[in-house]
Amino acid sequence: MALPVALRDTVSPPELELIASEQLIEIVPLIAMERTAFISGAYGPLRPPAKSKVPIWMAMNLKLKRKCHIVAPEWLNVEFLQERLTQETTRTEFSQLPFRFSEIAKLLLDIASDDIQNPDKIRYLLKDIREARQAKSRDGLQKIDHSELSLPNLCSMEINEIRPFFVKAMGVLTHLTRESTADNAARFENF
Amino acid sequence: MDDDYYSIDAILAENQKIQCTFKVDIPDMGHLDGGKDRDIKKNSKIQLPLWIAYILIYSDFADFTIPTPFNARVRNALNAEAKSVRLSGLVGAGGLWPRRLDDAPAKEMSDILTKTFRSRLVEVIDQAQHFAALGPSGGGGQSGDMALTFREGLDGTERELFSLAQDSAKKTKQWYESTERGRR
Repeated sequence: MALPVALRDTVSPPELELIASEQLIEIVPLIAMERTAFISGAYGPLRPPAKSKVPIWMAMNLKLKRKCHIVAPEWLNVEFLQERLTQETTRTEFSQLPFRFSEIAKLLLDIASDDIQNPDKIRYLLKDIREARQAKSRDGLQKIDHSELSLPNLCSMEINEIRPFFVKAMGVLTHLTRESTADNAARFENF
Repeated sequence: MDDDYYSIDAILAENQKIQCTFKVDIPDMGHLDGGKDRDIKKNSKIQLPLWIAYILIYSDFADFTIPTPFNARVRNALNAEAKSVRLSGLVGAGGLWPRRLDDAPAKEMSDILTKTFRSRLVEVIDQAQHFAALGPSGGGGQSGDMALTFREGLDGTERELFSLAQDSAKKTKQWYESTERGRR
């Protein structure tokens, strides 16, 4: 009960970013390093100019020290995102994107934008995709009822954004919807 | 709700009074009605808080009248256009969507409330996100009279939802705009 209300029923965006940072990404190291053990596992060895897979947090750290180039994941380019945007605007369901795409894309565009081709265009595309998807989850809100809501392909950041009030709204609807007579009888027994 | 036990709102909601008509004489309980008479007479009408009303109604000692927020006039208005009814005026700004409707002519009431809640919900969330996007300095002014009237008419539960949606939209927006460059 000591936690502030906002943290009780959901995690914060920076926490999601932290979780996403555990995923592996390809880098081209500029320094050599032996295979090294970290708490989350052993990574390396780094032998320039051979590519290597390391977690995103490590790639970001090296990048900020100018010790590696980052290889953008295959979904982070203009063609792929353009196609997804078209899908997003023409169909009613959510298009398929990596579950943590917004966290990863934001990190990469923020820190390693010089390793990505056409970062500004990608930023615009991601923003458009996000807005198209928000409009869809708003439609989902209209269909909400007390027991279930199905929005396939919703991504972690989007789920996180709508979770607090969807949960609350469904809770209220549960109270408003009439319980079956069996439940009433049970409650009566308790009195 | 899961946190009902700790919820001040649930406790306050239980404190709202409804009018009950007693079906039997009850001796020595006149103080419930302010203490004029010693006994409660059959057919006397008394305002009782919800928490005690449950037991009386279940035990068949009393009947209750449907409270004003649920009378026919309001129900018709809700049926016509849920968004234009000022709920806060009906149940008081601290009032809440009634939490328990186990008994009573519950089916119809539950249907209307569910419908009302659902049709207002979208508008509540839309406005909350709109205000989150404006940031701390914005708001007011150009948003239009309709929106303002609607916002003033929100009841307690809708206000909670409004602030939940606003907070989470604000936090997400902050995160999208934050940058890690130069922090490490």
